[in-house]
Amino acid sequence: MALNPMEQFTVRPLFAEPVLHIAGHPIYFTNQSLLMVIVALAASLFLTLAVKPGRLVPTRGQSMAELSYEFVANMIHSASGEDGLKFFPFVFTLFIFVLCSNFFGMVPGSFTITSQIAVTFSLALLVIALVIVTGFVKHGIGFLKLFVPHAPWYLLILLVPIEVISFLTRPISLSVRLFANMLAGHTMLAVFGGFVVSLGAAGGIFTGLAIAPMLLIIAIMLLELLVAFLQAYVFAILTCIYLNEALHLHDHH
Amino acid sequence: MTAPDPDRLTELGKRLDELQTRRTAGHKPAPPSQSGIAFRFATEMVAALIVGGGLGWGIDWLFGHFGFHTRPAFLILFFVLGAAAGIRNVTRAAAEINAEMARAQAEARSDEEK
Repeated sequence: MALNPMEQFTVRPLFAEPVLHIAGHPIYFTNQSLLMVIVALAASLFLTLAVKPGRLVPTRGQSMAELSYEFVANMIHSASGEDGLKFFPFVFTLFIFVLCSNFFGMVPGSFTITSQIAVTFSLALLVIALVIVTGFVKHGIGFLKLFVPHAPWYLLILLVPIEVISFLTRPISLSVRLFANMLAGHTMLAVFGGFVVSLGAAGGIFTGLAIAPMLLIIAIMLLELLVAFLQAYVFAILTCIYLNEALHLHDHH
Repeated sequence: MTAPDPDRLTELGKRLDELQTRRTAGHKPAPPSQSGIAFRFATEMVAALIVGGGLGWGIDWLFGHFGFHTRPAFLILFFVLGAAAGIRNVTRAAAEINAEMARAQAEARSDEEK
């Protein structure tokens, strides 16, 4: 019986042989890779098949696909304006991937890929890279004005490094928030699961008490479903906010 | 077949409107919870300190590499700058959350007026 609550986050290769070598480093197909493939396949299959009938009165699946489309479109529109909609495919893919990863992680016995800092940090780096490229493509060197607030020049000596550090913080806070939320929730579930097991094994009156952490697990499970959605939403909306800054610089000031 | 009762029709219309607003309201998630806000601020602050300290440490390492022994001057300087950047991040996050809450409240009010 695995009583170590962190055991669920171990990444282990599924096959003894590495799948391929990149610059001499062996690349293994791990439980994490498997879940990523499942999430990507499930999400794309569901979304393409659900809208296939194209009925005027949508079926349940079609309605879900259309609602998620509208939801993301509204989110981008409110956070980064009309020209932010160019990034709809990117933000939608990101949102659906994170959302499905979080939800697939809620299935008992599966693996939560968003609980790995390597995954969330890669996603965050992708977002920041897109923001920087967009900024330079749209404004050229003028994008650097993002780091120059309206202030007298002698304050700028202090303010520009602060703004640069503040910008560099984004990939870290973006990835840590998602990763820490997932890690905390799943650890909590495992810890209370351990209580159920040890109380049940204790015998006598304690066996009956095992029902208490069990009930708590159900409550936490529901809360975690909410967190899974909310964190995917936060990840996507912050992407929109950062893209908005790259598109419009200091317009909102 | 009898003619439709106008009272019942208007009532049906009202119920439909209600459902519609409830559906569109469901599109937007609730404003962040207290713990969510606290967690957001904490990560912003900590991330800025890590980035600031890391940058300072890197600059010290780079200078040390070329024979200038500045350690720990840049580490301290950038740690302080990182703290300032963290506070900047937190105020910015607070402004975003305020705007979101104001929008949610305005929507709730306009729904009530309907």
